[in-house]
Amino acid sequence: MIEFLLTLAILAGINVLLASGFNLILGYGGLVSVAHPVFYALGAYVSALLSMHLGLPVPLAILCGAIFAAIASFGLSLPSLRVSGDYLVIASLGFQLGIVHIINNLEITGAASGLSNITSVIEGPYRSWIYAGVVILVAALAILAIRWLVSGPYGRAITAMRNDEEALAGIGRNAINIKVTLFALGSGLAGLAGGLYAHYFLFLTPDQFGIFASAALLTMVVVGGAATVRGPILGAILLTLLPEAIRFLNLPVAALGALQGVFFTGLVIFFLFTRPEGLFGGKTTGGLQAWRGSTAVRPRAKEAK
Amino acid sequence: MNFTPDLIAQLAWTGLASSSSYCLFALAFALVLKVNRIWNFGHAGIMVVAYFSMLVAFQYLGLPLVLGLAFGTVATIAVSVGLEKWGFNVLRNRNSSTLTYFIFTMTFSQFMIYLAELIFGTHPKTLFASIMSPVMLVGPIVISHWDLIAMATAAALVAGLWLFLRHTREGKALIAVSDEPELAEMYGISKQRAYMVAMALSAVLVTAGMYLMGTKTPMYPATPMNQYLILAVIATILGGIGNVFAAGIAAIVLALVQSFSVLVIPSTWQVLLLYVLIFVVIVVFPRGVVLKLPRRGPARAAGALASQPADHAQGGKP
Repeated sequence: MIEFLLTLAILAGINVLLASGFNLILGYGGLVSVAHPVFYALGAYVSALLSMHLGLPVPLAILCGAIFAAIASFGLSLPSLRVSGDYLVIASLGFQLGIVHIINNLEITGAASGLSNITSVIEGPYRSWIYAGVVILVAALAILAIRWLVSGPYGRAITAMRNDEEALAGIGRNAINIKVTLFALGSGLAGLAGGLYAHYFLFLTPDQFGIFASAALLTMVVVGGAATVRGPILGAILLTLLPEAIRFLNLPVAALGALQGVFFTGLVIFFLFTRPEGLFGGKTTGGLQAWRGSTAVRPRAKEAK
Repeated sequence: MNFTPDLIAQLAWTGLASSSSYCLFALAFALVLKVNRIWNFGHAGIMVVAYFSMLVAFQYLGLPLVLGLAFGTVATIAVSVGLEKWGFNVLRNRNSSTLTYFIFTMTFSQFMIYLAELIFGTHPKTLFASIMSPVMLVGPIVISHWDLIAMATAAALVAGLWLFLRHTREGKALIAVSDEPELAEMYGISKQRAYMVAMALSAVLVTAGMYLMGTKTPMYPATPMNQYLILAVIATILGGIGNVFAAGIAAIVLALVQSFSVLVIPSTWQVLLLYVLIFVVIVVFPRGVVLKLPRRGPARAAGALASQPADHAQGGKP
């Protein structure tokens, strides 16, 4: 039982890292991408493969995975300079499905049957205790860093970019730098989370990083409250723990996944219509309200009223 | 591989036949984008409803073809219209952002996929016990009955949609709302009704497309999301936003490209071509590349309207 709870704590910590990084891009930056799980995948696979095939020490491999994910984010941040809103969403969807399809068909990644025999970083009876401590520490440091980033002058520049890119340019700030930086930071955190996941659970399959993962991440951010520091933390913890309750129903594996999916997506729809600001977002700040008036994601025309 | 004329002809025919469903999906997606001004990623969910309601009708209730099709069509229209009434309309009244629409439509699709997996399982399903179709040889080309039925169905529906938009009062109302919703309302046209009609029409197109697909190939609940929706989106962008029938043409071209790609790309990587295409098309050609037909006046311009600016729909700079 203790082992199960520790595993849940590790998973929750990893999800907090993931959701907080996603929130940086989506919530604060207003850069609508669904491809975040791909950077999680890249961090996980690169870290696992470097440690397995090149014998790199696991912490260094995890760092390399995170850096690789951050660099790979140029694949999306550069298009974001050209297109935004729905167009960026669709481009990110193609990007995600394409990368997952590649992972799904490469021999070195274990293709559809998955990558196993990943190097473990810690052995012994206290493996889970130590790993949980490390993951929670990393997640806490990442949250503090994000909080520092978004509450300072740079954070105000990010908000200004989200709300009015032209006005930001008017005061001499460069929106391009901010977008690329946000993507790199958020994706780097996802890569870090991926590395941490790979060397604890020791098995990866491409299915983990598809549309379902996007839905789960969106749920964490939307339910918790986008563009708030605390929102994705709560969202990630809730969305890690609640579906576990479904496991106790002893359903077949296929039905379990589907039921969790119904739960995730149903919860998002419920929140979209009843509390779009999320659990932590205010009525006018945070949550989906944060994008109102933004030029990065323009609202529909007034005709809709 | 030996690129003989026979092989080229066969691939062209197969591509054209496959394009029937793709064309219907693209028309459905483009129509909602044009009239309702929504990138309705919920189309994948609507496809799931269409497919599995027909599956229930044919395999569980044992209904004959016509009744089964009617059952599927009614169920799909009901869900589509409900999506507009209790989903889009609420978000529209709140002046919600692009992101909200995106999350809602995408989540709706995923919800339907998971629901289908929960009820029907994750294994692929076909609408009928056998999906074998008799074939005949016309010169060097193998033509199946399915090919002929699919092409005839698609042609009839495209013609029907064109006639509806061009010659009926309701169709002209759709075009008026898509052009200038405020002005249309001043002339007594109900925007809300137009949105509902567009959703219902797209549901009919989607049901027909899913029927054709389900009589040719086994279907996973997630297939519409991973393949058909993406293809419809690419075709809509290639056709030029707001140009409904050009999206249909783009879908035919895409099906042909996919068919001919077997000459140079192993089958494992065929799907990747779609994903690469969507990324490249969005980033390089956000305003579309298909030639636009000349504008011929508001009432006659069904599907041939000049492409509207990309941010005509929800948000985004192209």
